Amino acid sequence: MTARGRSPWLWAAAIAAYAFLYVPLVIVVVYSFNDSRLNAEWVGFTLDWYRRLANDSDMLAAAGNSLLIGITASLVSTVLGTMAGVAMHRYRPRLLPILVFAPIAIPEILMGVSLLIFFVLLNFTLGLVSVALAHIAFCIGFVAIVVRARLAGMDESLTEAARDCGASPANAFRYVTLPLIMPGVIAGALMAFTLSIDDFVITFFTAGAGTVTLPLLIYSMIKISVTPEVNAVSTLLMLLTLLLIVIAAKLSPTLLRSE
Amino acid sequence: MTFRTIPAALAALLLAVAATGVPVPAAARDELHLYNWNNYIAPETIKRFEGVCQCDVVQTYYSDNEELLAKLAAGAKGYDVLVPTSNAVQALIRGGQLKPIDKTAIPNIKNVDPAYLNTPFDPGNQYSVPYAMSTTIIGYNDEKIKELGLPTDTWAVIFDPKYLEKVKGRVTVLDSANELFAAALKYLGYSANDVDPKHWDEAAATIRKAKPYWAAFNASSYIKELTVGNIWLVHGYSNDIFQANQDAQAAGRKFHILQGVPKEGAVLAVDNMVIHKAAPRPDLALRFINFMLDGRNSAELTNLIGSGNPNADAMKYIKPELLKLPAVFPPKDVQAKLEQLKDLTVAQRRIRNKLWTEIKASR
Repeated sequence: MTARGRSPWLWAAAIAAYAFLYVPLVIVVVYSFNDSRLNAEWVGFTLDWYRRLANDSDMLAAAGNSLLIGITASLVSTVLGTMAGVAMHRYRPRLLPILVFAPIAIPEILMGVSLLIFFVLLNFTLGLVSVALAHIAFCIGFVAIVVRARLAGMDESLTEAARDCGASPANAFRYVTLPLIMPGVIAGALMAFTLSIDDFVITFFTAGAGTVTLPLLIYSMIKISVTPEVNAVSTLLMLLTLLLIVIAAKLSPTLLRSE
Repeated sequence: MTFRTIPAALAALLLAVAATGVPVPAAARDELHLYNWNNYIAPETIKRFEGVCQCDVVQTYYSDNEELLAKLAAGAKGYDVLVPTSNAVQALIRGGQLKPIDKTAIPNIKNVDPAYLNTPFDPGNQYSVPYAMSTTIIGYNDEKIKELGLPTDTWAVIFDPKYLEKVKGRVTVLDSANELFAAALKYLGYSANDVDPKHWDEAAATIRKAKPYWAAFNASSYIKELTVGNIWLVHGYSNDIFQANQDAQAAGRKFHILQGVPKEGAVLAVDNMVIHKAAPRPDLALRFINFMLDGRNSAELTNLIGSGNPNADAMKYIKPELLKLPAVFPPKDVQAKLEQLKDLTVAQRRIRNKLWTEIKASR
């Protein structure tokens, strides 16, 4: 781009793209305050849906389960995915990339059914743990891809310099490599969290009796019409996600920016 | 750098959620696991049962019989009571997924209207007991339809262009090949379970001729569209149409959403309580089934969602305005014209899918 100001077309395109991304979210939030069960038109302002949500133990338990699974899956798959990413970058193994990336390419329905059959074979009780394990399994690949891309753009001589100065391999990783790839690691973690929290298909098959996550609950409500209570719980989840990003950005201002 | 604090913060959050968000099961109270449709049992009924059995009812939901079948076929377990529709009951019996019901443990089965017992889906009710039901009928906006002078007691209003041209773009039909073919077959004077390919072709032609007049194939948001007043005439489920009217009254609309039972007959869907073969607590399951067959408990669901009720003892607890609805409580002459859908064979399903795809793709 030249310095003579940006073209209005670019502005228009940018605004249209952002509108496409954010207007639906804004509508969800606005209608969570709508005083109508139907939610087809604006009737009036109310906090009723939030009040109702606070008393809806089903919905709260489902949201709690979703968060718990999302955070666990994101933490564990970030650690494992980062390790896989580093290993793939450094040692160029042949088999590992196939193993790590296969769960991304496999259709979800296949993965869900095969995991269920696997758990049943092991006589593993289906529940929060089986869902979390399944989510970790499909999240690892996404984290590994992001981390490996970050590593590919990193100057390898920095790690070598650290080693030359006498750092142990562990220290060189911890004090040089890890900080440099951290934006990739965080991006991977956030991606894993998002993927986990809205997964339906794999969760449906691996969840046990009594394990209800938010997507499972909302989906089962579609048949009897979704109330603005769903908007309310979505709004709260959005706030929480936003909060996570803001905290991450506060902790490290360079985190969400490319240098 | 402070990167290390991020995982730490996440871990702290995780602990916080673990401490508050997820209910930790209280000291070994008995649990009954109910795998059910969403909003398909009244909260007060659950509470009362929990009081009687000194146990907790834990519900998990499905939104489609096929979901339930797929999950159980893959070997999922941990559920005590399931509530599948009759044809799914048949599939579950065939798959060896159910435990026979000990009738001596459920004396309340005497309350069930004999018309709903001993059906071809489960002869002798060895495995299943009817829970609640719905019919697939005509729903309409009384103000608009009266204004236009259209009949509401015949499928012709959904399929005949003579009537449809007056309500063009204001009609929706269910996005379900089985339901729509059943309605078209009934309109043509055949059984909803007719499997003659020639009759299917006739039905497909009828549907294609009517399709340009319909606004959409819609199985999820037509309740809302009816209530708002965008759509005036639907092919839909009786409890959805009941719900649409309740919403319309609550929103202060001037019109009502009424039910029309076609004189040609309609599809009846009965959901049944069954016990899974791997039920952890078959004893509690039997107690629950017997409890739900009690008239008062059974009536609470009907009063909540306007579902049909096969329980004769429940009638005295049901709101009178519901009892008057022929689609919810069909009188004997209507009952005789209702049919439950049977499963199709693989070959039949292939033919129907092909016809359905052609219908969906046609203009």
